[in-house]
Amino acid sequence: MKRGHQDTLHGGGGWYAVAPEMERGKRKTTMGAAEEGGEVDELLAALGYKVRSSDMADVAHKLEQLEMAMVSSAATNDDALLSHLASDTVHYNPSDLSTWVDNILSELNAPPPPLPTPPALTSPDAYDLKPLPALPAPAVPLVLGSDLQSEVTPSPRDRKRMKVCSSPPSSSTTTDAATSAAAALPVVVVDSQEAGIRLVHALLACAEAVQQDNLKAADALVKQISMLATSQGGAMRKVAGYFAEALARRIYRPQPRGGVGCCSFDSVAFDDMLHMHFYESCPFLKFAHFTANQAILEAFAGCRRVHVVDFGMRQGMQWPALLQALALRPGGPPSFRLTGIGPPQPDNSDALQEVGWKLAQLAESIRVDFRYRGFVAASLADLEPYMLLDQDADGGGGGKDEEPEVVAVNSVFELHRLLARPGALEKVLGTVRAVRPRIVTVVEQEANHNGGTFQERFTEALHYYSTMFDSLEGGAAAAGADDGGPDQALSEVYLGRQICNVVACEGAERTERHETLAQWRGRMDRAGFEPVPIGSNAFKQASMLLALFAGGDGYRVEEKDGCLTLGWHTRPLIATSAWRVAAPAEDPLSASAAR
Amino acid sequence: MAGSNEVNANESKMVVPLHTWVLISNFKLAYNMLRRPDGTFDRHLAEFLDRKVPANASPVNGVVSFDVVIDRTNNLLARIYRPAPPNPTTPLADLHRPPSSDPFPVIIFFHGGSFAHSSSNTAIYDSLCRRFVSLCGAVVISVDYRRSPEYRYPCAYDDGWAALKWASTEPWLHSGKDAKLRVFLCGDSSGGNIAHHVAVKAAESGIEVSGNILLNPMFGGNHRTESEKRLDGKYFVTIQDRDWYWKAYLPEGANRDHPACNPFGPNGMKLEELPFTKSLVIVAGLDLVQDWQLAYTEGLKKAGKEVKLVYREQATIGFYLLPNTDHFYEVMEEIKNFVTCNLKQPANI
Repeated sequence: MKRGHQDTLHGGGGWYAVAPEMERGKRKTTMGAAEEGGEVDELLAALGYKVRSSDMADVAHKLEQLEMAMVSSAATNDDALLSHLASDTVHYNPSDLSTWVDNILSELNAPPPPLPTPPALTSPDAYDLKPLPALPAPAVPLVLGSDLQSEVTPSPRDRKRMKVCSSPPSSSTTTDAATSAAAALPVVVVDSQEAGIRLVHALLACAEAVQQDNLKAADALVKQISMLATSQGGAMRKVAGYFAEALARRIYRPQPRGGVGCCSFDSVAFDDMLHMHFYESCPFLKFAHFTANQAILEAFAGCRRVHVVDFGMRQGMQWPALLQALALRPGGPPSFRLTGIGPPQPDNSDALQEVGWKLAQLAESIRVDFRYRGFVAASLADLEPYMLLDQDADGGGGGKDEEPEVVAVNSVFELHRLLARPGALEKVLGTVRAVRPRIVTVVEQEANHNGGTFQERFTEALHYYSTMFDSLEGGAAAAGADDGGPDQALSEVYLGRQICNVVACEGAERTERHETLAQWRGRMDRAGFEPVPIGSNAFKQASMLLALFAGGDGYRVEEKDGCLTLGWHTRPLIATSAWRVAAPAEDPLSASAAR
Repeated sequence: MAGSNEVNANESKMVVPLHTWVLISNFKLAYNMLRRPDGTFDRHLAEFLDRKVPANASPVNGVVSFDVVIDRTNNLLARIYRPAPPNPTTPLADLHRPPSSDPFPVIIFFHGGSFAHSSSNTAIYDSLCRRFVSLCGAVVISVDYRRSPEYRYPCAYDDGWAALKWASTEPWLHSGKDAKLRVFLCGDSSGGNIAHHVAVKAAESGIEVSGNILLNPMFGGNHRTESEKRLDGKYFVTIQDRDWYWKAYLPEGANRDHPACNPFGPNGMKLEELPFTKSLVIVAGLDLVQDWQLAYTEGLKKAGKEVKLVYREQATIGFYLLPNTDHFYEVMEEIKNFVTCNLKQPANI
């Protein structure tokens, strides 16, 4: 056998001699592995698997063990093992092959008792704010709580979860991922006809002209774009329209304040209204709420007192479903406290309190002990930890030994705004750390609309929003409608305002500073958080939820490094991730050196 | 029984490098969990476990990719890979321009996965397609065909055919003084099977195909061949799983002598009169279905069609996924030569 390009072939016993050494080395590096930073094998990394070179033989050894176990169970005609591994086991972070294989081996060695049939949680109605009388029979059982049973009773899996979170060998790849993420440009071309391509070219050329301060050329191109756009149909025409308008604003720089349009201070109520129509017309917000709730539910397993802090309360659409799931969980609901943060209302109305009151009514109808507090804040950076901490520790319990409350912080499309002011994000993350949350759920747009030059930002945004608009069209078409009606139209306005902000605004006014998962990972890591992987159970349920949603065919859920993304066709558009405060490094000096 | 299976594990470890063993064993483990005995497939878990990569219009190693919607009505997508356009500052503007003024090959690629697994954005196939671009200066179109068991025969073939027709209507894919689409159909495992059947359709419909490249193509038949019996379970693949995938793909009630599975079997079609293209067939000597692949090659010869067989004695399935063996590099050379040779010459008529 020629050996030119080959790895060393291992004869029969070769691997076994290596494995025990690796075992020892690996155990040492499991916790705090990010600081150790062993080299990730390049060959497998190119194919989506992160395995340290030093772990390779060990992983092979474990795969062999699994093979033996499968074979012997097949020999006894025992399908139960495989079916257990498929349907009952929750899988996490398949890219981290070593830990994935470890988890399966643990399943083999300590399978949990068979789970009783879980109560079915219900339909999308759960996401409405109307108080539900009795829980209706579901069309499709969407079980938010089923997999929790295995978590409530202490099991080897709980301890395993801890191991899962720390081991992904990502430190050496974090920077790479961030760099390549910044440079990567996912493009889905929907309209490859001449006219569509010319329109995209004109838009890009206009952005280039703006970049080069060639306002005369830019002006001419804006006019050309408008002409080309009229010959287009559907999503491309609308997107081109919004981008052209935004370009025009940038070129002519209208008054930033008091004027009509994207950057002016519209009423919060108008904003919330657009948000609700966006919620109705496509699954992005539902997916965000659903996946964040799943992570929160799992984090709250077995806790008797819980507290959720919502960084963007709005109409509170995320919380009825969580309340219901908590009501139904085995062992009964915890006492539930909700803190809702919202912007100041110019008309002095107290929308924040109204929302809380409606949720309280719902909670009462399903018998969940509920407390609510609303906070008005112009910026999340105005929050201080004392505002979020539990001030009435008694909760009316009167002198008993109370469990400390377990906190979840939830942010859906809020963190990126903080990037408009230096230091704001760091302050907010510091505040979050100070309340020592069990889990922090973050949903953000999966795009880099905050880096590089204006031209680069424009290009990214053009492709991102083209895909977004296409999904609105596609969803409506698949649902058999000619158009999505007012929901779709208002959703387009909602997205159009984001486009305007990304393209026409700068400085503190440019609040739509979306960044990719890889970039957020870096930021959270630097702020002292580590990832909590979201597993296959949440993935499956999110996928099933999508199937319920008419027009679901083009939407795709993907798993990436423990996070879930929802996209249109092959382009991820939003990402849900979960975090917790990182365990302190053993040696603070080496930790900071590694950063 | 247990004893002989221990031997099996040892044998496969002896012939593949460590990385390959880990990669393919990982797939085997995952895939075992996804196939249910009742013939259904755990699609959600499959999509969760599958490692995917997005398209990237920024050059990586001189290659860019972007996704296109070929057919909106059924959401048929394909990923297009091409050499990076020469102007680095405006990569997007030139995506739809021909990569060269000289004739260039267009490779329509059908990923493997036994008709049930993987997608055009699966990492292993994204990697392979990028390699084809660099290797042959080609534009590669990786078709995201519908998979079984949700979509049985002939859906995958229909999608392949739709992609070929689409390519034939894209002006920027035509090259040379005669402005022709110089198209090759290529696939591994089930993708190889699809390539064959799309080539038949092309021949019937008068679309000229410059060549077929079949990498470990998936064929079968009712009776058990010697290689199936000899190699069952030894190198990552079992007869049982092959049967499962055929059952999931073929029409209900059909057996493996259905022409989709066994094109030169008792129900096969005669190719003698058709302008069926030339073929390059690569067979791994440790692939248990090799007897069917060799029979396929014989069938082409008997029908008077030109075929080159490349037989890699000690190769297992999936050898082309990692650039870590002679099998990999030598087979890539064969593919490159095949494409280059057949780019200039007209296809076998």
